[in-house]
Formats: sequence, structure tokens, C-alpha cells
Amino acid sequence: MSSNLFITAVYLALMFGAGIFFSRNIKNTSDYFLAGRSAPWFWIMGAVWATNIGFLHGYLAHGGAAYEWGLIQANFEWFQGPFGYILTGLFFIAFYWRAGIYTVPQFLERRFGNGIRTIYSLAWIFVFLVTIAAELYLGGMFLKNILRIPFWPTVFILTGVVGTYMLLGGLGAAIMMEFVQFVIMMLGTMPLLFILLRMVGGFKGITSTLIGQWGASAQYFTVLPDIHHPYGPGPWVILGQCLVVTIGWCAGHQSMVQRNLGARSLYDAKLGYVVASIPKTLGAFLYIVPMIAAPVVFSQMGIFVEKSDAAYGKLILHLLPQGMLGLFIAGLLSAGLSSIGSVLNSASTMIVKDIYERFFVKGKPDHHYFVAGRVATLGVIAVSLLLVPVVLKVYLIMWLEQLLLAMILGPFMAVLVLAIFWPRANTPGSLAGFLTGGVFAVLLQQVFGVDIFFQISWWSFVVALAVTFAVSLLTPPPRREKTEGITWQSNFEDLVGEVVENRALAGAERVSEVRPRTIVLPPWYLNVKYWATAILVGQIALLLFFG
Amino acid sequence: MNRRPLIALVLAVGGLAAASSAQERFIDVRQAMADALTSVKAAAGKGDWAAAAAAVESARTIWDRDVKPLILEGVKTDASFEEYAGRAGEVEAAVAAAGAAVAAGNAAEAELKVNAAIWGISHHPRGFDLPAPRYSAWDWVFGLSIGLGFCLFATWFGLYLRRSYYGRFPKATFVRKGRS
Repeated sequence: MSSNLFITAVYLALMFGAGIFFSRNIKNTSDYFLAGRSAPWFWIMGAVWATNIGFLHGYLAHGGAAYEWGLIQANFEWFQGPFGYILTGLFFIAFYWRAGIYTVPQFLERRFGNGIRTIYSLAWIFVFLVTIAAELYLGGMFLKNILRIPFWPTVFILTGVVGTYMLLGGLGAAIMMEFVQFVIMMLGTMPLLFILLRMVGGFKGITSTLIGQWGASAQYFTVLPDIHHPYGPGPWVILGQCLVVTIGWCAGHQSMVQRNLGARSLYDAKLGYVVASIPKTLGAFLYIVPMIAAPVVFSQMGIFVEKSDAAYGKLILHLLPQGMLGLFIAGLLSAGLSSIGSVLNSASTMIVKDIYERFFVKGKPDHHYFVAGRVATLGVIAVSLLLVPVVLKVYLIMWLEQLLLAMILGPFMAVLVLAIFWPRANTPGSLAGFLTGGVFAVLLQQVFGVDIFFQISWWSFVVALAVTFAVSLLTPPPRREKTEGITWQSNFEDLVGEVVENRALAGAERVSEVRPRTIVLPPWYLNVKYWATAILVGQIALLLFFG
Repeated sequence: MNRRPLIALVLAVGGLAAASSAQERFIDVRQAMADALTSVKAAAGKGDWAAAAAAVESARTIWDRDVKPLILEGVKTDASFEEYAGRAGEVEAAVAAAGAAVAAGNAAEAELKVNAAIWGISHHPRGFDLPAPRYSAWDWVFGLSIGLGFCLFATWFGLYLRRSYYGRFPKATFVRKGRS
């Protein structure tokens, strides 16, 4: 155990030092919040995936939900790739990029005005606080189980490390560390799958033991279960998960979008996002498939598992040899710290840019907001710590987080889709749609007792879409400057290439005679359409095999 | 520097942490019982039957004193305790059988029963207990409508996007980066 503790301590110290190292490059708010817009596509890919995959959206909570409900949890990986990452990379990122924004709410403001920006920001800041609390809880419980150290000191140590490198290094530190963490996570956690499959006789061995010998439900091994499933009915997975939550998450989650806004070019932003769907898909083999095999191993080896969220930690504790366990802990800490760090950075960005700078202190020098960003980071850490005991009571963390997201992402997707593809959508319509959709989602859960978040997200999306559509038609159309440059009808040349207007681009051939509306396409191997097609084919093959 | 906010934060976290300790207790007592049962296996593996018997007794004590009362109390107000209440008989039988195997000096049987007892106090996946998949005619109609509807919509929308793009910029010049 001491070797594991040593590797973990060394890793945390390196993370701590990295923050101090990267802080040398931070000079203004663009550096702090957007990494100076300098990240290449492969950094973006690593950072997007590492941001997405953490204790919560990955190993511990996703793994825990897979232990609880089975292969259905893989739809988060196998549908989010094509629907979320690829569609966002192909369509939405270009609009954000062109708008030159720091936050998603800023984009909503450009299109629909102040009101929706404020509401959307506040809703996300609340989700971020719960998210960080859940990550800290899961990380604390994981280390408590693995290293047998007390829960609360562990939580404070995690907070201290991630808080330091985020406070000092900003998004630049986050993206660079996330790329390193991406590599560590992949290399450190993949061996578990092979060890497990060898133990239980492959995927067929798992099904024959659980269904054949234990009489477990066949729905435990289904990606799209029947409509009566209490956690994820198949049709609602398609409607709520694929069409609303995954796209809304990828296009509306500030942490995910912010990594792309830090890219050095639009190609890099789009390609980074699309290619990130490959590790996202593979993620199911890191923490979903192993957790379906876990009950067999737990019962055969007599391993105690207190609740689903702790199952992953228990599995690796008893299966991995000492040295590998240390590397594994480092990999998992990478996942957790990168996610906590990115959400911290995004929450502070939204607090400063969307709330503080607009409502409290306007027109101050850049340095003032840079300092405010760091103070906001500290504040977010403090409030999240207060929420840790609250999330401790929830039976499945994944359920809580998805429920909150469903209430936001349904209305958001409706407003975003209409914002980009329907120029007639206006401010009163979007505000009414977003609020009605959000309230309807809360009513569905609180009054009608609907606990399936896929249903909540779908119906809140439909209601928000209908209300936005109706109210927009009943009120005057938006002014031209509200839609110019940020709707499909005005800006979509950016979607396939980089538009040049009689000037050469960095890295391009001399284009002195290039006419207006020349569109410079990337080299074929960086073409997002080819990548997206290849990934979709792989995805369909996966679904056919496991579905 | 004003230290009041910091002190207030520490007190608040401390207070909430204390309040949450009740949730942690049910985990901790089961962990303690699992640890005792695990040491039965270790002792039996070494042939230290006295230590194994003492560990079985320790596990039984933790069950009777801490785990079982918490389950019986919890099941009155919290549905999540039902799975443990339903398996209480199995756990007691497994612990008793482990004790008998230890008394008989049968390490393999002791390990089997100990593993069963540990699995009995563990959390089991809810997905195991779901009914077999049921697909009514309406389910097929609903599912196929969604699937086909989505495919049709995606095709129509994709074609619209393509048409609207090239329709809007018919004379755009496309230059591949890296080529003249």
C-alpha cells in the first residue's frame, strides 16, 4: 500500500507544481479563460475528453450506474460520440468561434439579449457547484476505500491541489494538464478490462454466469431496453438522450465548449471535438464493460461493495497488483482532477463574465477581472465543499446530476437550435420558451413524479420549442444585427472551411489573387467530414455487436 | 484580512459533515463486518483455526449489534434498506455455515460461505431484478416511428443544409490548404 500512496503523492505534487509552472504564461483574462487561443487540435481532443471523463462522468459514477443498471449506461458513450461530439463539432462550434465569445451564455446574449444569458448562467453555475461537490465526494470515497485514509481530509487535499493549479494556471494549465491526464488515463486504466475479461471468460462468460446461473434480467445486457425500463427506456434514450441531452451537453456545457474556444484555429476546434468522440466511445471499455463483469468477481472473491458508486474503486483495489494499482490511482486522479479543474475554470469564467462584470463592477481594467476570476474560483470551491454532505445522501450520483442537466438542456437545445437555424426566433420567444421549458421540467419531476431524466429532457425540449416558436411568431421579428453573422443563413461557410478575403492565412499557400468568398479547405487528413464518417461507421458496428 | 468568512465556512462544513455521518455509519459497520469475514479467510488459509473462529464470532457480533438493527430500523423509512432486509436470513445462514466450516477445519467451505455472507451485505445491482423485456404492439409502433422518423428527418435536414449552402455560395472558390 505504501508504494501506491507514494505514487499518488508524487502525482499530486506534480500536478501542484504544474500549476505554478504554467502560471508564468498567464498575463490577462484571455490567457486565463481561453488559454490565449493557442491550443492545437490534438490538445483539444485530449482536453475535451479529459474534461468530460472524470469521477462523475466516467469511472466512478458512470461505472457505478453501469454496475447498477448494466449495459444501458454505455449509451452515454456510444451515442454521445456521434450525436454529441460530432454534431457539435460540425455545426455549433463554428458559430461560437465566429462570435468571439468567452462563454455560451454570451452567445445567447448576442442572439437574444441579456435576460436569457443571466438565467442560463445562473442555472449552469448551480449545476457546476453540484458537479464539483459530486466529484469531490466520489474522489474522497474512492481514496478512502483504496488508501484507507479518512474521507474529509482526502476531500480537502483534492480541493487544494486542483484549486492551486486552476487558480494559478487558468485554462492553459487545464488544457495542457488534461492532455497529459488523457494519456495517463488511457494507459493506466485500460489493463483492467483485459484482466477482468480473462477472469470471467470474456463477454460471453459474463452473460452466461449472470443470466444463466443467477437469473439476472436480460435487460442488464441491453443498450436500448424496452419502454418499461425504470432507468432508461429505449425509445426515451433515443429521444431524450441522443437528440437532446448529449447534443445539449456538448454544445451547451461551458467546460466542453471552452476547450474549443481556446483552440488556435477553427479547424483545430472542430477537428479536436470530432476526434474526441473516439476516446469517448472507447471509454465504455474502460469503465462500463468492466463494471458489468464486477458482480461476478465480487461474489466469487468475497469483495464487499457498499453502494454502486464505490464499486469501481473496490474492483481495482482487489484486482490490480501493487505497482499497477498506483499507476491506476494516478490515472483516476487525473480523470477527477481534470474534470474538477475544468468545471472550476468554467464556473469562475461564467461568474466573472456573465454576472460580476455585467451587474456589479463594469469598465474596470483587465487585471481587475483576472483577479476576480481567481477569487471566484475560491468561492466556487468553498460552496462546493458545503454541498458535499448533501450529495452524500443520494443513492446514485449519476441520477442526481442527469436530473439537473435534463431540466436545463431540454430548454437550452430548443433555444439554441432555433437561434441558429430559424432567424425569426426572437428575444421574447426564447425567454418564454426557456423559462416555460425549465418550469415544465421541474413540474414533471416534482409534481408528476417523473424520474426518468430522458423523458424530462425530451418533453422540456418539446415544450420550449413550441413556446419559443409560438411567442416569436406573435411578437415582432428580431433586428437584423441580432441575427447577422450568427445564424446558419448568414454564416455557414465557416462550417466546411476557413473563409479568406484577399489575404493569406497562416500555413496556407500564398493567395494574393484569392477572391472574396474563397474557402480554404483543410488537408484531407484533417477534414472533419471524413473523420466523422469513419467514426459513425465504427459506432454502428459497435451497436450492432452489443445492441 | 477578514477571517470571519473562513471560520464560518469551516464551521459550516464541519456541521454538515457531522450531519452526514449517519449515512456513512451504515457503510462503516458493514465494512467492519466484511473486514472481519475477510480475516476469517486469511486465518483459515493459514490453518489458524482459533483466529478464524474468533473472526467469525466478531463478524456475528457486528451483525447482531450494528448491521441488523440498522437494517431493521432503516427499512421502516427508507426503501433502499429493503434489499438488505430481504437477504438478512441468507447472511445469517452463511455466517453460521462459515462458523461450522471453521469448526470442521474445512478452509475451502469456509471461504465459500464467507464470500456468500460478504456478498449478502453488499449492494446488489437493481438491474438484475428487472422483468424480461416486453414489447407490445404499441411499443413497436412507438419505437419504429421514432427510428424511421429520425432517419427521415436527418436525411431531409442534411439535404436542406447541403442545398442551402451550395445554393447560397454557388461561385465560391474552394482551395485545399497546402495546394496552390
